[in-house]
Amino acid sequence: MGSPAKQEALEALRARIAAIENRPPLGESGADLRRKQVEGFLASAPGLLHEVFTPEERNAGATLGFSLGQARALIKPDRPAVFYMELAHESQERGLPYGPGLQNFGFAPEHLTLVRTQTMPELLWAIEEALSCRAVAAVIADIGGHPKILDFTVSRRLSLRAVSGGASVFLNRYGTGREASAAQLRWRVEPAVSEGHRYDSQLPAQPRWAVFLEKGLLSTEHAMGGGHWLLDWKNGFEFTQGDVAEPAGPRKIPAPLPGAQPAALGHGLLETA
Amino acid sequence: MLNLPRWATDCLKRRDPALVQSGRPFALYEKHKSALKLVAVDEKVSGHNVWPGHNLSDARALIPNLEAREIDRPLIESLFAEFADWHSYASPIVAVLPDMSAFGDLALDITGVAHLFGGEGKMLASVVGRLEALGLEAHGAIASSIGAAWALAQHLPGRIVEADGNLDVTLARLPVSALRLTPEQVATLQQLGLKRIGQLYDYPRRTLQARLGASLIARLDQARGLVDESITPRIPAPERFVERRFAEPISLLDSVLETARDLAIRLAADLEAEGVGAQAFHLMVYRVDHKVMCLSARSAGTTRDPLHVTRLFAQRAERLAGEFDAGFGIDMIRLGAAEVSQLDSLQVGAFDDEGGGDLLRLHDRMANRLGETAVLRTVPVGTHMPERAARLESVIQPAKPASNAFSDRKRPLRLLPNPEPIRVTAEVPEGPPADMTWRRVTYRFVKAAGPERLGEEWWLTQAALTIDPPPKTGEDKPRTQKSRYGWDEEDEPPLPRRPMLFRDYYTAEDDGGRRFWLFHDGIPGTEGAGWFLHGFFS
Repeated sequence: MGSPAKQEALEALRARIAAIENRPPLGESGADLRRKQVEGFLASAPGLLHEVFTPEERNAGATLGFSLGQARALIKPDRPAVFYMELAHESQERGLPYGPGLQNFGFAPEHLTLVRTQTMPELLWAIEEALSCRAVAAVIADIGGHPKILDFTVSRRLSLRAVSGGASVFLNRYGTGREASAAQLRWRVEPAVSEGHRYDSQLPAQPRWAVFLEKGLLSTEHAMGGGHWLLDWKNGFEFTQGDVAEPAGPRKIPAPLPGAQPAALGHGLLETA
Repeated sequence: MLNLPRWATDCLKRRDPALVQSGRPFALYEKHKSALKLVAVDEKVSGHNVWPGHNLSDARALIPNLEAREIDRPLIESLFAEFADWHSYASPIVAVLPDMSAFGDLALDITGVAHLFGGEGKMLASVVGRLEALGLEAHGAIASSIGAAWALAQHLPGRIVEADGNLDVTLARLPVSALRLTPEQVATLQQLGLKRIGQLYDYPRRTLQARLGASLIARLDQARGLVDESITPRIPAPERFVERRFAEPISLLDSVLETARDLAIRLAADLEAEGVGAQAFHLMVYRVDHKVMCLSARSAGTTRDPLHVTRLFAQRAERLAGEFDAGFGIDMIRLGAAEVSQLDSLQVGAFDDEGGGDLLRLHDRMANRLGETAVLRTVPVGTHMPERAARLESVIQPAKPASNAFSDRKRPLRLLPNPEPIRVTAEVPEGPPADMTWRRVTYRFVKAAGPERLGEEWWLTQAALTIDPPPKTGEDKPRTQKSRYGWDEEDEPPLPRRPMLFRDYYTAEDDGGRRFWLFHDGIPGTEGAGWFLHGFFS
């Protein structure tokens, strides 16, 4: 890195990559995220690959709620189906989506189809099959750990399928490691202490999540929040002022997985692993 | 009707060429009341006038170089069953008559089939000739009733009696043992001097019934075609089918699938002409060494779309690619459709091309590839017991109009299939929980709501509120396969251990904002009472 010319070339490259990365990820899907703001929070455009991370498996309820909330906004009369997929032997780990609970949450259970596969390749096959169906609005896949098969190629494949099929994929992931992935949006969702019931502060109230956007850009007004919001679920996403202590302070840089190449190139885009 | 009197010895000889090369007489024996009796003999043994039923020691005395083995009935029966399946190349309805013998007799319903072979005589000759070419001794006969065909195949092989023919005259000359009777009945008839079937025609029926039982009368009427007798086909008989025979056996899986596609197109044309579609499809692959492979695919909606049907089979085949074994080649493939029902001929594709139909096809593909229990929908059940209030059923089953609705009580988004035991402390006895230890982690609750008391549904005997132990890690698969919350309905109903159980459910939020659904089971302080975690809210 001696010569100034080299430095300059590097700078130019960095700037160029930053320009690419800064572009909202929807050029591919042809959708414009900037003007989509439904139900109080963004209802992202269809045809995107989302990764919804949470640090611990015990937060599984929060991520499922967040994914279902987003998926619900994608349901249209001609796209009524949402698929939930998981490995059959992981049901006891995090629990199965429960009909009365879905109803209670505001998600009509008849929209949801559960798919329980034996192996990871079958699960990925099922996601792709579902994405190619024109009646599917979204696929939520619950994936524990860091399966080897789920690499950049696979996520690129899924994101292309999502674009061409017009259905969104939400990969619910657990842990702090991040692989290289072609996901357009990567969220980190953690549950937050709710504000308490209107009449009794000792009763649990509506779900509340601390949401971080780790990768991808939404729009300028959302970007002002620094990619960090506190969301309430009142049968629809609702912003809450961050008067509750932020659980993680400023954006934490998650640990990249060994072997994953961090691409710390663009300015301020440290986590685009 | 085909009769293979030497099936047991012939099939073993085919499996073990050494038996043929040795050239020794071969017989199978069985232990019968502390004596070893012959049950099957080959032609060399019967040449010495030794028959099944003789003692093994007598036979050894008569035939010094006799090769005798103990019979392995399950093996021979299963070989015969496969052999029987293979005969569905000739007729879709093939049956073994287990009330006489589990092997040796094969019934084919050739109604409306014989003309494909150029007539009944040619069909019989071709089927029997094919077996003789395989080295099997076979006798065949065709008659209008199963009983008569059996009698003819045993005693007058090669005889064909037309439906309107003189069946009674032909049968009259046969011995009474041709009527599928028990040995005791035959012996009694012999004692009475009734040796031929013809003698029974005019004998007073009441006397016969009194002395020999109603079964004799039934057998006699069945043979004469006076009462109907049905056979149970071994392979589900498809309602419509198309098939292709190959001049040269094929062996590649790809060729099989290619043929399946052609057949599906032909089948679709046939079904369309009738204005019907089907829900179940069977692809039967006939190997030259008389084995049949049967692939079945089900569709959630009635269909006849060849593309869809082909795809279902292609996916099925993908899964068993490793097990595919063409043996010495495949000489016929048949595609059958079952569960046929009306399908509007207006529909060009399998379903209409918008939304719903697409989804049904997706369900079919997934269920065929992943298994029917892998693709599920949630159905409400009219009960307030949490683990039973939602049932997961396969999307392949036709959806019934919902008779129940989900309760609008506060219920968790995720439910653990098996509630997990936790340790809980409460500030006051029987009060809301203050903290819990679950999976060796302690959670401190800042908010809690409850209790919601759920009692046992005493009006349902099997609805006891019992807890299944949570599965251990690395547990065997069938259990984790459970597609429901908690126990299956098919399981043995857990009997109530104690009268009147109830659970107190609490919703609790910990200091990290996680919301849990936990319950206390039983009366506090009594044996078996305890806390369990049952679900997670978002």
